[in-house]
Amino acid sequence: MAKSTVPDILPGTLDLLILRTLQTEALHGWAISERIQQISQDVLQINQGSLYPALHRLEHQGWVEAEWAVSELGRRAKYYRLTVSGRRQLAVEAEEWGRMAAAIGRVMKLA
Amino acid sequence: MNLQDLKLRLRALIAPRRVEHELDEELSLHIELDTQKHIDRGLSPADARARALARFGSPALAAEECRDARGTAFIDNTIRDILYAFRTFRRAPLAALTIVGTVALGLGLVAVVFTFYSAMFLRVDAVRNPEELVEVRRPTSPGAGSWVTFVRRDYDALLRDTTTLAGAVAMLPDVTTRVDGRAVQGTLVTGNFFDVLGVGASLGRTLMADDDARHAGRPVMVLSYRAWSRVFGGDRDAVGRSVLVNGAAFEVIGVMPPDFRGLTVMPSDFWAPLDLIDQFRPALAGKEDEVRIDIIGRLKPGMSPAAAMAELSAWPAGNPEMKAQSNRPKTIVLRPRQGTASPDVLDGFRWFSPIFFAFGLILLIACANVANLLLARGVARQREIGVRLTLGASRGRIVRQLLTESLILALAAAVCGFGVLLFTLEAATRAAVLTAQPAIAELIGLAAFAIDWRVALFLLGGAVASTIFFGLAPALQATRLEPVRTMRGEITRDARPGRARHALIAVQVTASALLLICAAVFLRSALVAADQAPGLRTSDTLWLEMNNESTRAAMLQAVAGDPAVAAMAASWPHGVGGNLAEARGAVGVPVEYKFVSPEYFNLFDIALVRGRLFTPGERNPSAGVVVVSEREARRLWPDADALGQVVEFDGYQRRPRVGLNAPAVSPELPFRAFTVVGVVREARIGRGIYEQVDAGVYLPISPEAAGTSLALRGTGDPDLVREQLIERLTKVDPAMGSITTMRTIAGVAVYMLQVAFWITAILGALALTLTMTGLFSVLSYIVAQQAKEIGVRMALGATTRDIARLVLSQSSRPVGAGLLLGGLLAGSGATVLLATPAAAGISDMVRIRDPLAYGVSLLCILVACALAAAIPALRAARIDPIATLKQD
Repeated sequence: MAKSTVPDILPGTLDLLILRTLQTEALHGWAISERIQQISQDVLQINQGSLYPALHRLEHQGWVEAEWAVSELGRRAKYYRLTVSGRRQLAVEAEEWGRMAAAIGRVMKLA
Repeated sequence: MNLQDLKLRLRALIAPRRVEHELDEELSLHIELDTQKHIDRGLSPADARARALARFGSPALAAEECRDARGTAFIDNTIRDILYAFRTFRRAPLAALTIVGTVALGLGLVAVVFTFYSAMFLRVDAVRNPEELVEVRRPTSPGAGSWVTFVRRDYDALLRDTTTLAGAVAMLPDVTTRVDGRAVQGTLVTGNFFDVLGVGASLGRTLMADDDARHAGRPVMVLSYRAWSRVFGGDRDAVGRSVLVNGAAFEVIGVMPPDFRGLTVMPSDFWAPLDLIDQFRPALAGKEDEVRIDIIGRLKPGMSPAAAMAELSAWPAGNPEMKAQSNRPKTIVLRPRQGTASPDVLDGFRWFSPIFFAFGLILLIACANVANLLLARGVARQREIGVRLTLGASRGRIVRQLLTESLILALAAAVCGFGVLLFTLEAATRAAVLTAQPAIAELIGLAAFAIDWRVALFLLGGAVASTIFFGLAPALQATRLEPVRTMRGEITRDARPGRARHALIAVQVTASALLLICAAVFLRSALVAADQAPGLRTSDTLWLEMNNESTRAAMLQAVAGDPAVAAMAASWPHGVGGNLAEARGAVGVPVEYKFVSPEYFNLFDIALVRGRLFTPGERNPSAGVVVVSEREARRLWPDADALGQVVEFDGYQRRPRVGLNAPAVSPELPFRAFTVVGVVREARIGRGIYEQVDAGVYLPISPEAAGTSLALRGTGDPDLVREQLIERLTKVDPAMGSITTMRTIAGVAVYMLQVAFWITAILGALALTLTMTGLFSVLSYIVAQQAKEIGVRMALGATTRDIARLVLSQSSRPVGAGLLLGGLLAGSGATVLLATPAAAGISDMVRIRDPLAYGVSLLCILVACALAAAIPALRAARIDPIATLKQD
């Protein structure tokens, strides 16, 4: 099925990527996935089927909030925006990620 | 969970349609935007859309996961499942009705047992802080399970000497009498009873302390709600009116709330001052202090029963009066008393376990039937389930949906089971009233078994439990299939639940065998017990208790002159059996003695073995002669002829058992030598715990002697004689004592066996019917399913006999296994069951391993199963091979 052909991103990083993408502006789901793909130069293709459940989960956790607004095609779209607690969470997760990436980098250099 | 989460969840619950719509909109927009992107890159619209969809995956799955994130998926799905279930029922209403009816029968029957159990062991009385109430008891020796009774003096002493308890009351339950001509059962209590229990009247007032002032009690009574409805039809003006008890007027001062039972299992009909006991039992006039009473105390708040027990145990030792009773124990035991039969719920469960088991078997068979039906339907619904699996529904989702269907059916069954429960209770009460001895039947209607929230909860729990039993396996079985092959219309091997089905049939046959064997064993035992020669004439004899000495002469005259009485003899004590005394030379082994008039032996056909009976002139112990029973003669003089021997009572007479129904006035036992003039055959009735042996030593007396009862031989049917006598004798003395036929007394033991037989026989018949229908429907179904296979076989030359054998062989193995297992279980199980306390009483009357009973019941099942299998087998044999082969 389609699921298995999409290369998966590192488990647990989807939330971080979404939060980071929303740091500067409010986006709707498609735009989020496009932005991630663009910035990562097509390296990171997020599983779109799991994007929305993740967004809804973040919304329930209060880290993002949603608002309906008119989109590019002139259609109503659900825009997600980072909340205050979402920003805090992003800082925590970004720091965590930084430490992790640095650690892995060190191991890769030395080993 | 945070505020936003709550808000979102609420929104999903309140406006589910809008939320669903938004979700839909969000996901479809994504796919459209993606499609647009691919179009912009030069793909054709169709290709672009396909690419977008491929990248997105299943929108339905994503939507499902979004719903999961929402946390309301559970509720959404449940609602959807319920609606789906109802659509399924509408499509196959007969199957749904069958399932509901079958499970309702099983649930209702088990609920009947639970209702009794709950009424006896779970229903705490509606009093203030029931956990503080304790019954004060004195064990015969430390740690013993038997008790020394209290009398009123002990109660007064307890109140006077101790301060451990916050309050204490004395009560005497189970006082049967007639109030305005109706048989009722009440409790005599001390004036502080309602105060200590903390219950107020719902109408009028309760008893007060001075209603029960010693020797100055007021003739007042408080009615139970039931008695008030029954006697006064719920008339609010009943308070203040008088009712007649034994000819004396009692004023009704109040009515209790409906849920108050007065700390007894069977609700009392009235409560009256204990001081007025002589009004209820004229024979006890002047003997008020010898009547046994229960003492109930209320612990002080926060005091543990153990601490109270320790403190109270000092009381008997310090009480000079009790100290003087050298043979009385010095410890006190406090046991919770909250209006249940036993404070130990588990103890009650042990008593009830065999009954729960027997009734539970019906539920088991019913569930097995339903499981079989669902297995069959699972096969029929394979295509539907296959389609749903292919469309992306997870297996868990479908299992849940199937279980929801089962649960809805089970809940409907619980509601109908309530109807079964009501009907069974009503039918059982009626059957009991019709079949029980008249003397017992009169009181049966009083037994109120309240159906309360516990029973409702039990039914609900039972419904859920049976859902798991009958619904889970078929649901798992039905979803275990390969979607692709199912879509092609092939029924996969895996989904043909042959093994599960066979196991279910075997279980059903086993359970039926168990029940039928029990029924047969009980029937045989009842027949044997009924055949037992009683050794006492029981066919037309009666006992008349004389409890009013002032009218004795008039009563004697009336009885002697009554046309319904053929013969009359005096006896003390009342009924079969004697009183105990110690005889010189036989120390430590008390002799059971009895005063009888010379006519007694002939009246009861007690045969003379040697010597002579009393002469008509020997009507007083001072005649100095006794007649002994054969067994007593052997016991007392093992090496010598009893005739001419001397019996001498050595001056110690045990205190007579003074209870409500024990004789209050007793003839004096002279402490002198008696010469044995005759030996008679031993007289006994019943067996096992119902065995009653008449006295070993008979002393002469006359009917005029105070305290004696009358034994009568009637002319014709004793029940008729009893009624005629009650009618005629109440004119002589309205407060006359009870009349009991010997048939009643002797019949109790046989009656218990008959009840056991009827209950197990009805259960067995139900079990067999359910098993038969189950087997029948399963085989019919298999035949329908295998029509093609059978057609092929016939086309290839199989004879009708081969086909019939094929069908029969499908059932023979599980049936055979069930029969074998049932027989073995009955054999070993019956031994265990009879060892439980409930059955202890009849264990020595029941022949557990009666080969005839086993044989007949197993044969019965075999025939029934053969019948159930015959029709589908015949139908299979008549299959037209051409027609079946053309079908596809």
